[in-house]
Amino acid sequence: MASLGDLKPSKKIVPFVNESTLVPVKSNKQILWAWRISLCCALALIVLLPILSPDPYARILRVLPDGILNTFLVTICSMALALIIGVLTGLGQITTFTPVRILCTTYVEIVRGIPLLIQLFYIYYALGKFVALPAMISAIIAMAVCYGAYISEIFRSGMQSIPKGQMEASMALGLSRSQSIIYVILPQTFRIVLPPIGNEFIALLKDSSLVSILAISDLSRRGREFAAATFTHFETYTMIALIYLAITLVMSKGVAYFEERTNYYEN
Amino acid sequence: MRKLLVSAAILMICSAFLFAGGAEESTNSIVVATDATWPPMEFMNDNSEVIGFAIDMFDEVAARAGLEVEYLPTAWDGIFAGLSNGAYDAILSSVTITEERQEKYDFSIPYINAGQILVVRSDSDSSLTHLDDFAGLSVGTQIATTGELEVKKYPDVVSKTYDEIGFAFEDLVNGRIDGVMTDTPVAADFALQSSAYEGVLKIVGEPYTSESYGIVFQKGNDELRETINTALQSVIDDGTVEELIKKWLR
Repeated sequence: MASLGDLKPSKKIVPFVNESTLVPVKSNKQILWAWRISLCCALALIVLLPILSPDPYARILRVLPDGILNTFLVTICSMALALIIGVLTGLGQITTFTPVRILCTTYVEIVRGIPLLIQLFYIYYALGKFVALPAMISAIIAMAVCYGAYISEIFRSGMQSIPKGQMEASMALGLSRSQSIIYVILPQTFRIVLPPIGNEFIALLKDSSLVSILAISDLSRRGREFAAATFTHFETYTMIALIYLAITLVMSKGVAYFEERTNYYEN
Repeated sequence: MRKLLVSAAILMICSAFLFAGGAEESTNSIVVATDATWPPMEFMNDNSEVIGFAIDMFDEVAARAGLEVEYLPTAWDGIFAGLSNGAYDAILSSVTITEERQEKYDFSIPYINAGQILVVRSDSDSSLTHLDDFAGLSVGTQIATTGELEVKKYPDVVSKTYDEIGFAFEDLVNGRIDGVMTDTPVAADFALQSSAYEGVLKIVGEPYTSESYGIVFQKGNDELRETINTALQSVIDDGTVEELIKKWLR
């Protein structure tokens, strides 16, 4: 029973110790170094592999550019559309108008409960049944509908994280509920949700590889076609992985920059 | 007395075998194994009867050769082993004639070319009958198949690759692509047998690649092979096979 006594908190512990101070803190410097090392390695390999072994790496690089363009196209268009859907349904989730709230919440619940791959198939082929849209646009809509729900949740939680006092204060100053939301709550929300939305943007870029199953010639589809024709699966996937890595690392830097800017008022 | 009884019994059993053997000889019946899971070439209908293009064709071949056929549904996995063991006389199961297989087994003459063939929508332009006509149009194939390689031989045609051929057909029906290239049996299955696509799709032209199906025999069973080859040749020559292709595959 002596061991129990050992577990008793010693008087030396500072009273306001919390979880975050117990976890070793990653300094910004360390993160920066990890980022630099990964990016340099990825870029170095992308450049060195084709030089050192032109067959197949240089050949792989030649078939990929239009795939990269399509990946960006899908990512940027579906992100823009998902943001619109996300803001609207996010607002819809906290509105006092019950039918809209139920509609938006149901949308979010349904979409979040189905794997992205299945949903892509479903929306893509369901769209095809009713309207004749080009494959690319159908894929973008499918991606946007899926990610709109995730972004909607980010917005809802962002808005709900604004202290109650803000709403009470603005209403006490004579603003209506919608005015308070538009002029007081939303601007603060955007500041809070920017970093998670940036992360979502990176996740969407990676998930955009899923549209390759819909015969969209994105980065991964181009690679798979090349691998299938030349039986160089390992080499092709190495190259594709490196390119995705390089792109997402650059994007995560962008997100980090935004994060810094939005913390401006807090420090 | 006991010895006499035993010898009588042995004699009876032996004569029964002889008699049975004789009966088989006189009706000239053969047993043919088929993996009936490959519509429309050979498959089971709702009454568990084996039907299909190959079955119709072989019924005619057997009739002309004076043979009685029994089709034995057999799983593909062990179908060649069964032939080696002598469990049946031949395999009729969409077996592609390949060099490796020819080393171990004997093949009949090819009875159909089931190569890659083009499927389009029934309402599409009637001039679209060959990949040459598809400049600027898109054709779907399954990734890493001979169909994909075939389409890529035509640089003007936009190649779209799918993980499963079913997705390509879905996009074809929805109008996102203009054609699908796949094996003849698969094409026939989607375009003609599937209730969802019936009348919506049609097969155009002749196969682009060569993939010949043959009937498989044990090595050295030349008598049966010759009999069937002769009958098969006559069925091909008088256009019966052509008619059956129209019935099942176009």
